[in-house]
Amino acid sequence: MMARSFTTSAAVTMARKRPAAVQDIIRTRVPGLDSTSIHNLSEIHPLLDHYPRTTDQEGALNLDTAKLWASNPPLDDMLKSQGDDEIDEASLPHGLTQQDLRRFLKRTLIVKRTSNMTTAGKIPSMYALVIVGNGNGIAGYGEGKDDEVARAVRKATNRAMRNLVAFDRYDDRTIFHDIDHKFHATKIQFRSRPPGFGNRCNHYIHEICSCIGILDISAKVWGSRNPMNVIKATFEALSSKQKLPEDIARGRGKRVVDVQHTYYGASE
Amino acid sequence: MPRHYDLCARVQNGFRARLPRIAVPDTKMNLAIANVLYREGFIAGVARGDHVEPDAEYVPTTPDNVATRRLWLDLKYNNDEPVLKRMSAVSKPSKKIVMKVEELQNLASGNRSQFIKGLQPGEIAILTTTFGILELREALAKGAGGEVLCRAI
Repeated sequence: MMARSFTTSAAVTMARKRPAAVQDIIRTRVPGLDSTSIHNLSEIHPLLDHYPRTTDQEGALNLDTAKLWASNPPLDDMLKSQGDDEIDEASLPHGLTQQDLRRFLKRTLIVKRTSNMTTAGKIPSMYALVIVGNGNGIAGYGEGKDDEVARAVRKATNRAMRNLVAFDRYDDRTIFHDIDHKFHATKIQFRSRPPGFGNRCNHYIHEICSCIGILDISAKVWGSRNPMNVIKATFEALSSKQKLPEDIARGRGKRVVDVQHTYYGASE
Repeated sequence: MPRHYDLCARVQNGFRARLPRIAVPDTKMNLAIANVLYREGFIAGVARGDHVEPDAEYVPTTPDNVATRRLWLDLKYNNDEPVLKRMSAVSKPSKKIVMKVEELQNLASGNRSQFIKGLQPGEIAILTTTFGILELREALAKGAGGEVLCRAI
């Protein structure tokens, strides 16, 4: 079989029409831009090669150059929401800044349609409960109500940023000891678990644990499983009901030694 | 004769009421359990006295004053919180709990044993053994099992 070279019809057409001296006929869009000037594009127009090629001592190409223009991130004013419930940086706890808050995990856990019965009739309103957290010991929850879901969620998020709480964790992964807590009709039992266990618990508690940074926990909700109350009970229990071994030892006048870390090595 | 559950109730109620000291019946078992609590740091001191206050000097127990004899326990508070939050009986007249060394080791590791929950960080268990009334870890050091009287945290 004869070996054929396959070319597109357009290329074949051009090849037929091309005269002998191509360089004399081809007009470049930018004067001076042809195959010989490829290495000096920046001389023709500064925009063409905006990473000027510098050479280091050995004459090799060095692309490590400074930016030619300054980066202008959007101003905080532009990023602020329409006007309700702004967060004052001075009121943020634990030395957090607006920059840190932007990187927080935000989870909208509950969106409900509520209605207020008045003489004029039923006035509907949207309710949202949002939890925020940095995944490393700081989290909070907020509730917001508005006519639109998006605005209610935004209000709730801002309130959550204002109500941040620091949580104690053993080994940065679980709680120090088992906790039993009752909030209204919701009873929750939390159990500390070894590394690699995971968060085996109610789905709302699971989201809260991922925002706090708890990696191993077991929990059971007894009684009412009302979502709002489960979330509030969890925040109350984990923030207030933990007793640190150092505080227990100080109260009793004893020295506390972490056997797990000293003798068996810290769990990575 | 008041048993260990009477002492558990008195001590827990005393801490909840934020009393500086409480008077409990003067018996050998109460004295032994109070000594364990003192060694573990739950109470500040144990003293014998009458129903009004501890004795300044030693007063021997005679048939005349035996009815007034009390043990006074000084309760401890730290950071506006009681040092002892809860003291509850484990072995009760309705169900006596006697454990072997392996079961006590389970309890000490935080695992359940004989339907009794394991010990949490900072929790102690007081048991009566052939070596006397000891805390759980002291009993394990001696290799002794026995009736688990109460637990305190």
